[in-house]
Amino acid sequence: MARPALRKVDRPEEGGPRLAHLDRDRRLVEAAQADPARFEALYRKYLAQVYSYAFYELRDHHEAEDATERTFLAALTNLGRFEERARPADGEGASTFRVWLFQIARNAVAERRRRRYRRPEAPLEAAAAVAAPIDLEADTALRDDAAAAWRAVGRLPGDRRRALTLRFVDEMSTAEIAGVLGRSEGAVRVLIHRALRSVARDLDDTSR
Amino acid sequence: MTGAYPGRDSHEVDALITDRYLEALLAAHARGADHAPAGAEPAPSIRLAADRLARDLPRLHPSFRFEEALAARLAEVAARMGLSAAAGAEGLVVPLPGQGPPRGADLAADLDDASEDSRAGIGRPLLIGGALTSAALSIAGAAYVAWRLNRPPSSAMVRAARAIARTRPV
Repeated sequence: MARPALRKVDRPEEGGPRLAHLDRDRRLVEAAQADPARFEALYRKYLAQVYSYAFYELRDHHEAEDATERTFLAALTNLGRFEERARPADGEGASTFRVWLFQIARNAVAERRRRRYRRPEAPLEAAAAVAAPIDLEADTALRDDAAAAWRAVGRLPGDRRRALTLRFVDEMSTAEIAGVLGRSEGAVRVLIHRALRSVARDLDDTSR
Repeated sequence: MTGAYPGRDSHEVDALITDRYLEALLAAHARGADHAPAGAEPAPSIRLAADRLARDLPRLHPSFRFEEALAARLAEVAARMGLSAAAGAEGLVVPLPGQGPPRGADLAADLDDASEDSRAGIGRPLLIGGALTSAALSIAGAAYVAWRLNRPPSSAMVRAARAIARTRPV
């Protein structure tokens, strides 16, 4: 079954230079640093990824939009300080710009969460249920297993949930996730493994 | 279990196997295939959970309206950044027409700007060569220039520059 996702996976060109893909955003970043108007290419490229991350974290359409907006505005205004530093060890398609962008997104989401705690609102799942027009649970009502997966991920504690979202939704490598979460690659691998074990148990309970 | 991965404990080995499986699984999905190629596989429960998440967790896109509104806002910010960069590279501070401060005052204002941060978020009053903003031509802009010229000097360098400016004929 095709995955219902907006996906774009960049791959190195056949026979192209081995290192060219390691900093796949370098040209776009340099262009935007020279002319901020050219930031739009980076924005269009990563909008869905950043928004998805925010939505999976906040489970509210409006809050996800707010966090997305803050992320891109902060990225644009601070782009001059960014330096591409992807290494071969970071894997194919690694982009430190993406890691940097998601570090900003993580902070923006955390800020939204803090505001939510100061001003308590409906629980996460209730918020998601009324989050029109993108209402994942309603959209997937006919697919109970998909809704169960969505809920199982939502029940995970902080970094486990974030790691799974970055891995499965944003398709980041372990090295990139380590950069975003500020952990070692080994720690991220264990985090994801344990998160999957929790999800497996959760899904198993749901299906009984 | 750890034979193929010496120096690692069983948790790390399990995590590594899961990681390799996910790499293969997500790469297979990117190619449009449903399953990861056969290889070292994690425990069946982990594999099933991974398969389901890879299949069922969608990437979301915000509304077109939001996307375009944010694009417009970013373009606006980018334009301002471009203007100030160009102004910083080429612009000069010049007196407002009819409000001509003595020569040298611009130098004093520059030094004053450099000696204090832009805490109020107010840009340089008028820039030519890089950018000319409508705000700089406003009454508020004129009042700001006047205030900057008359307020007490804040550093020795500024005081010196202003003193020189005052001694020179206009």
